[in-house]
Amino acid sequence: MTELAQTLIFGVLIGSVYALMATGLTLTFGVMKIVNMAQGAFLVLSAYLCYGLWSRFGIDPLLGGFIVTVPMAILGVALYRLVIERVQRIDPGLTIVATFALALVVEACITLIWGPDPTASTPAYFNQAFRLGSVVVPRAQFYACLLAVGVTVALQAIVRRSWLGHAITAASENPEGARLVGVQPARVGAWIFAIATASSAFGGAALSFLYQFTPDSQDVWIGLTLSVVILGGLGSIPGAFAAGLLLGVAEAVTSTYISVRWSAAVPTLLILVVLLIRPQGLFTRAARPDAAT
Amino acid sequence: MSERRRHPRSIRYLAAASITALAATACSSTASTAGKVSSGPITIGMSLPMTGPVADVSKSGLQGYQLWSSQLNAAGGLLGHQLKLNVLDDGFDPNQTATDYTRLISQDKVNLLLGTFSSLLNAPASAIAARQGMLYVEPSGGAATLFTRGFTNLFFAQPGTTTSEPDRFVAWIASLPAGQRPATAAYVTQDDPSASPAVAVFKTRLQALGIKTVYDQTYDPSTTNFDAIASSVAHARPQLIIQGAVADDGAAFVRSLEKLNFSPRMLFQTNAPTDSAYPGAIGRANAEGVFTAEAWSPQATYPGNAAFVAAYTKKFGSPPTEDAANSYTAGQVLAAAVRAVGRIDQKALAAWLHTHTVSTIVGPLKWNSAGDPEGSLLLAQWQSGKLQIVAPKSAATTSHIVTVKPAWAS
Repeated sequence: MTELAQTLIFGVLIGSVYALMATGLTLTFGVMKIVNMAQGAFLVLSAYLCYGLWSRFGIDPLLGGFIVTVPMAILGVALYRLVIERVQRIDPGLTIVATFALALVVEACITLIWGPDPTASTPAYFNQAFRLGSVVVPRAQFYACLLAVGVTVALQAIVRRSWLGHAITAASENPEGARLVGVQPARVGAWIFAIATASSAFGGAALSFLYQFTPDSQDVWIGLTLSVVILGGLGSIPGAFAAGLLLGVAEAVTSTYISVRWSAAVPTLLILVVLLIRPQGLFTRAARPDAAT
Repeated sequence: MSERRRHPRSIRYLAAASITALAATACSSTASTAGKVSSGPITIGMSLPMTGPVADVSKSGLQGYQLWSSQLNAAGGLLGHQLKLNVLDDGFDPNQTATDYTRLISQDKVNLLLGTFSSLLNAPASAIAARQGMLYVEPSGGAATLFTRGFTNLFFAQPGTTTSEPDRFVAWIASLPAGQRPATAAYVTQDDPSASPAVAVFKTRLQALGIKTVYDQTYDPSTTNFDAIASSVAHARPQLIIQGAVADDGAAFVRSLEKLNFSPRMLFQTNAPTDSAYPGAIGRANAEGVFTAEAWSPQATYPGNAAFVAAYTKKFGSPPTEDAANSYTAGQVLAAAVRAVGRIDQKALAAWLHTHTVSTIVGPLKWNSAGDPEGSLLLAQWQSGKLQIVAPKSAATTSHIVTVKPAWAS
């Protein structure tokens, strides 16, 4: 029983980290239908920035995540203005290629600045744990989980309750109609990218103290975050959170009770099953065909 | 760039690359005329991953080759000829490696070959060299599968392959009084052509000593989260843990054990603890007592090693890596054979190496008929912030061995 409880706790904690990593991608994919392939690189860049703040100035990565949102938001706006907006005018499908290329550039820049060796932040809590009887709750994962909940709630509030959120929804669903009521889709697009890229700062902060990372770690994270977004349903922020939890728990249970080797196949298997049974994702409703704009 | 640096999905690529290489060489019907020395320099061909995912770390491997050739040239060269390195870039692509070695032999007509890095790349390269009848001394590529193909021209320039990693550790365990030996062991390994066979040998030999296996799992190379694995290991409560770690999976697993506050009496990990980033990643105090094996140590007292470290540091401004030492060693092996034979005759060179021992900076090297070195890797242990060589005695940098690993420091 203890082993099962421990496994579920590990699953929930790591699942929330997956959800945290996927928030930016959920936003750009869901609202603007843009697959930002540079999201993994932004996560790793944020991790390096948080690491830099920790190693040079002693700033805890959790606090560093908040600081790093500022440069990441600026990077997001620059990405939208200089790349996405221009490429979309040629062919919206090219945004995947453009952001993939950007990911390679970011990776190369990280390598030039920090080198290729593995890096990790080790604040005091990185290897400590709370104990609930015989069950262990790692402090680092717990803090990352709190961060994930906070970011999810904040993003959901922005999208659902703020004027900006309504403008985002309007611009993505009916750009012409949005223009008529004074919403400028280009400006809204820049805001979305600013928020999405800034949110990767928190994922990067968690990455910096949970794992060792290298400039090419983005390969791992872009795959996992895409899995979360597809499972949760495109654009559903709560859906992405729930999908992250599902993924984490499924991995942990598979690793403990079936085979360690099979746990790596869990994301792919889950996606296959979901695409067969519920192609719109687990937590979104299918759109009516006649509702397409 | 040791094995851990290479992308661990090697097993699939290794097979694909070998097939591709064999196909490429089969298409090449031109008999090699390489190997004959004209009046010019002796050209030595190699293809290295100078770009791509391991570009930064393979640089030191090239520098090892460069130092070896420059030292030899300064001393008059080989057989009265200066040496000239012909270096191609394969971008860490096995197919490009096959193309490059074919070009070096058939088009560039180099006199001699030296190997590249990783089992992934050396598999196709050595197959082409075998097909063309060229001697192939490789600085890296210790996967056991490379030495089961019947090649007689392949020589691995390290003291042992990955399957020899357990030798000294198991011998040390066997030398302990019965009361100090671990009673139980857990085996965790990445699915990797180097790590998995080594861990399998560990298990067989430790079981033969009466050490009971309480956990044995292989994880996928893409595994990043080790909490559930560590939890299962902790649940089994082994006194000894053997991990076939390839890269940062070594530190990641230890970090998970630390969170669970489960500290085994003994911990042996392949590859990972030799990485300079390892102690920092797990907390410097927590590296104390961790065992690993390595092919070379800058502190080892083998002839020429100290001079190599000093010359490399002077020439390139930083201390040599294991990859630099391994490529330098491959050069030493090649030069020893050429000097002894007195001419560049690929068959005669291979025959000489099969019957002689070569003194190198990683110790004396001697090979079996498959080119598999008949030695063992060095047994190393982290002690007081330094990776010390604890066996064999001839290379040991300390006589002290931490028998029981201290508990994790928070």
